[in-house]
Amino acid sequence: MGKRRKRRHQWANELDDLVRGACGGFLFGIPLLYTMEVWWIGSFVEPVWMLGAIASSFVVVFLINRTAGFRKSSGIRLADAAMETVEAIAIGILCTLLLLILLQEITPQVPLDEALGKVIFEAIPFTLGVALANQFLSGGEPDASQTDSQPAQKSGQPNQPDELNGTLSDIGGTLLGAVIVAFSIAPTDEVAMIASAVSAPWLLGFIATSLLISYAVVFQADFANQSKRRQQQGLFQRPLSETIVSYLVSLIAATVMLLFFHRLLLSDPWQLWLTYAVVLGLPATVGGAAGRLAV
Amino acid sequence: MSNLSSESPESSESPESSESQADSNPDKRTAAEWITFGMASCLLLTLVGLVIAVWIDPRHQQPPLIEAAQAGVIWESSGQFYVPFTVTNAGGGTAESVQIIAELEIDGEVVESGEQQIDFLSGGEAETGAFIFSKNPQQGTLKLRAASYTLP
Repeated sequence: MGKRRKRRHQWANELDDLVRGACGGFLFGIPLLYTMEVWWIGSFVEPVWMLGAIASSFVVVFLINRTAGFRKSSGIRLADAAMETVEAIAIGILCTLLLLILLQEITPQVPLDEALGKVIFEAIPFTLGVALANQFLSGGEPDASQTDSQPAQKSGQPNQPDELNGTLSDIGGTLLGAVIVAFSIAPTDEVAMIASAVSAPWLLGFIATSLLISYAVVFQADFANQSKRRQQQGLFQRPLSETIVSYLVSLIAATVMLLFFHRLLLSDPWQLWLTYAVVLGLPATVGGAAGRLAV
Repeated sequence: MSNLSSESPESSESPESSESQADSNPDKRTAAEWITFGMASCLLLTLVGLVIAVWIDPRHQQPPLIEAAQAGVIWESSGQFYVPFTVTNAGGGTAESVQIIAELEIDGEVVESGEQQIDFLSGGEAETGAFIFSKNPQQGTLKLRAASYTLP
């Protein structure tokens, strides 16, 4: 029983570490995943450059891992840093591949060399984000006395002003993060390019991915302030409802940004509004999740 | 202060405490971490292997070979005639700014023409699209050809 519990504990910790690494990658790498020039570099880059890119990113990530990394129990020995670098690059490659498939930049019709180029060049910034995961939103674990006192408050009389403040703080943090990440993507042609290629079932994939990443960043990655978030008071304090409501807030923020930059006009059909909002909603949601952790 | 109490001799002797100490020992990787490292190494080696395979593939050394052809049947809608086409790079290297031209000749004279540009076309890649004519292409001769490209 003890061994089984220990093994389960090991895998739970490992999953947390991997999710934290992936979330760091999403926070750092998603703006470049929405950049067509990086797709184009992948389209024509020579294989020797691809190998050079892997080697140079290995060196940079290795140096970062000597001080940062994505594991909570990160060692500083050379061997540990080297192994963590391999893992960070693998996380970067896997997540980038999945997102490029979602963005339809990699399809069964895309030749192997082009797909490799796109994955490698998009995975580099993503991998840097994985390696910096522990540095993102770090503020130390919340004070034990503080976290202990909050459930006591909860068990007592519900505090209406606190709930309202907590809800407003959540919405504000979501909007702030969404604007910081998605504002630079909203005026670009990439949103229109991606939207033009997606079908209705594919949009459902965008929605599911946005919700999954948002939940993982806030409630699974074990970034600093995660436990504080679980104690957060507000109208949507449950993880599932908070994830859904903040996704809707991010969608509204994405729509307003698209209107601001005249990428959407009032005369456009509602299908276009929906598609553009959902496509830009992905980076906006990732930013919004980070924003809620930061407030 | 609470940390001091957890380091007392009584608590350090408990089996769960020693297990968690072993887990948190940075010198010792857990089985889960070793399995993750193994899978990550396989993924990275596969990626490097695929890049090397593309590198030594003789097809990759060939120049781009662009072919444009009509794909499928012509259809009409609202008085416009749609001619679907496919452009393929049958060579090895990537072509940039590939220009496709369609010319409709009726009675030996070019009466209508269309132009299309494709940003990038990798070796073995195919792109599809359609030219739109106001006159019926079946009444004349339709010429589809790749006119130019640049090397990236």
